Amino acid sequence: MRSLKNRSLLNVNEDFKGKLNEEIRFLVILNTGYMKLLIIEDDNSLREIMQRALTTEGYVVETASTFFEAEDKIAGYEYDCIMLDIMLPDGNGLKLLEHIKSLGKNDRVIIISARDSLDDKIEGLNLGADDYLPKPFYMAELSARIKSVLRRGTTAVSNTMNIDNISLDLNSRRVTIAGKEITLLKKEFDILLYFMQRPGHIIDKAVLAEGVWGDHIDMADNFQFVYAQIKNLRKKLTEAGADNNIKAVYGFGYKFCEATE
Amino acid sequence: MKLITRVTLRLAIVLLPIMIIWGTVFFFYMVKEINDETDDSLEDYAEMLIRRTLVGKELPPPGNGSNNTYSIEPLPDSAGNGATISFKDRRIYIHEKKETEPARELTMTFLDRRNNAYRLVVSTPTFEREDLLRAIFTHLVILYMLLMLTILFVTAFIFHYSMKPLYALLRWFDKYQPGNGTDNMPADHQTQEFRKLTEAARHTIERAESYMERQKQFIGNASHELQTPLAILGTRIEWMIDNTTLTEEQFAELSKMRQSLHRMNRLNRTLLLLSKIENNQFPDRADIDLVEIINNEIGIYSEIYGDSIKCSTKLPEKFIVSMNESLATTMITNLIKNAFLHASEEGTVDISIRKGELVIANNGNEALDATRLFDRFYTSGKKGSTGLGLALVKSIADSYSFKVEYSFKESKHLFKVRF
Repeated sequence: MRSLKNRSLLNVNEDFKGKLNEEIRFLVILNTGYMKLLIIEDDNSLREIMQRALTTEGYVVETASTFFEAEDKIAGYEYDCIMLDIMLPDGNGLKLLEHIKSLGKNDRVIIISARDSLDDKIEGLNLGADDYLPKPFYMAELSARIKSVLRRGTTAVSNTMNIDNISLDLNSRRVTIAGKEITLLKKEFDILLYFMQRPGHIIDKAVLAEGVWGDHIDMADNFQFVYAQIKNLRKKLTEAGADNNIKAVYGFGYKFCEATE
Repeated sequence: MKLITRVTLRLAIVLLPIMIIWGTVFFFYMVKEINDETDDSLEDYAEMLIRRTLVGKELPPPGNGSNNTYSIEPLPDSAGNGATISFKDRRIYIHEKKETEPARELTMTFLDRRNNAYRLVVSTPTFEREDLLRAIFTHLVILYMLLMLTILFVTAFIFHYSMKPLYALLRWFDKYQPGNGTDNMPADHQTQEFRKLTEAARHTIERAESYMERQKQFIGNASHELQTPLAILGTRIEWMIDNTTLTEEQFAELSKMRQSLHRMNRLNRTLLLLSKIENNQFPDRADIDLVEIINNEIGIYSEIYGDSIKCSTKLPEKFIVSMNESLATTMITNLIKNAFLHASEEGTVDISIRKGELVIANNGNEALDATRLFDRFYTSGKKGSTGLGLALVKSIADSYSFKVEYSFKESKHLFKVRF
């Protein structure tokens, strides 16, 4: 039922497409969630949970478990973003990517691979994939990548990111809250950006540290530096009257949500 | 001791007494022969003298140039009752030479027709014989020594020549490093034993390499295969945390599960990285400035540790090394992280590059086990350590033939990388 409803709404959206400029289209899509995704993944359990999680985030999600099923769906429908596992039982996902590009489709593609191999990554990106996400990944990470990839598709708004009254300019690294610019330190900006790409997800502090400071920060016994940065950032957001803020969750992690929540 | 030396030495030990015995036997045989000859000639001379005496012919003058001397004297009747003959070595005075010389003397008794007994003493100087024996002795010694040396030399030469395939094989083993394969292994097909040895060696190495290859593949495959289940587990826990209503207790449990999973992910990723380094899957090189990477990392860790750890550096403007960029970063990061992580509270970290050598030091209390430090999963018991960091460093260094060393001096752990 839900998927039918989404599909009809998508058609409405299609009608708007011509009339709205790209920025508005993106905002509508982002806020209403009528983006259509295709998950090509042969593992049933992973496919199911990815579909469930992305549907919860408001996307219309279709799935394919084999090379041929995926080929069929790609030929028949348009997708905004395709998540492609390159290790399929009946064919190499990179071949599928080539196929998508040969059809002249504009579908965004994120490669998902258990082979965290540089060659695959380079080949995939050369073939026109938009991003490469090695397994195992966090849903929050996938969700952020999808948003980022979709954002890149709409060039007009690619430089700013808005959630309620918080606005980030990614190029000049300026932050505006309720129309007023505030000053953030480099890491504070990175943390805010990280959370804004993953709204509603509870982010483990270790994952946050890795995401902001780099992959190799893995000192489980020392997160003092994270606490300090977040404390300052929260204070700045509160003082500026932001609608959303970073909330500590039982001391295990953080969540970006409405300030009043 | 080399086999050839040992064989030659043993041969010499056995040959020497045999040669000495042979030589001695030969020498004494020669002495006997020469004495017999002398005695024969004395007997002939004596016979000639007796014949002449009996037929009443004139006897040769005593000094007839032959250095032989003789004397005939009659014996009292009672003494002569048959022909006796005896030889003796003694020194006699030779008139012509006016000196005493060793001589061989024949004493004989004979009867004339009237049955008068005479004693004939004939002597011949033996200095010629002595000279001869001395010459024989010298030559014997020289010849036997030469013979022995020749035998030893020829043996050594032939031995060395025949053992060439073995030496070639041994040289090949010296150069062999795991993973090289058996392609350039020298093979001798002519000698049965060497053929067998080569075959056995080839077989052993191929088996060892195939085990190693399989082990490498196993680690790689296992890590690959774990990626999807890990992703499922992580995604499902995340979904529960984000989308379901949990009690505080449930949330705490799930968070802890997620933290463990995170650690497992990291471990798995590092294992994959290790197996990729070992399979040479980072072929591309570039000129990398290590100083830039180091400064960058110090920035991050100084931020994390704040003022509790003092970091000092002695770095040149630039230090360019040709290697893969991500491996360079991984190596430097792990070394610096290691130093910061294990520096004690209020500790120090010193980083310097001098004479093509990177030294990263942190203060510590006692030396670590240098033999196991770079092994996989060897940890000092510090929380959050995977025990793979230094294994990773070693593996990267090995793949570029850099040398990594650990030492403990003046209460400092020193990690040196020689490029």
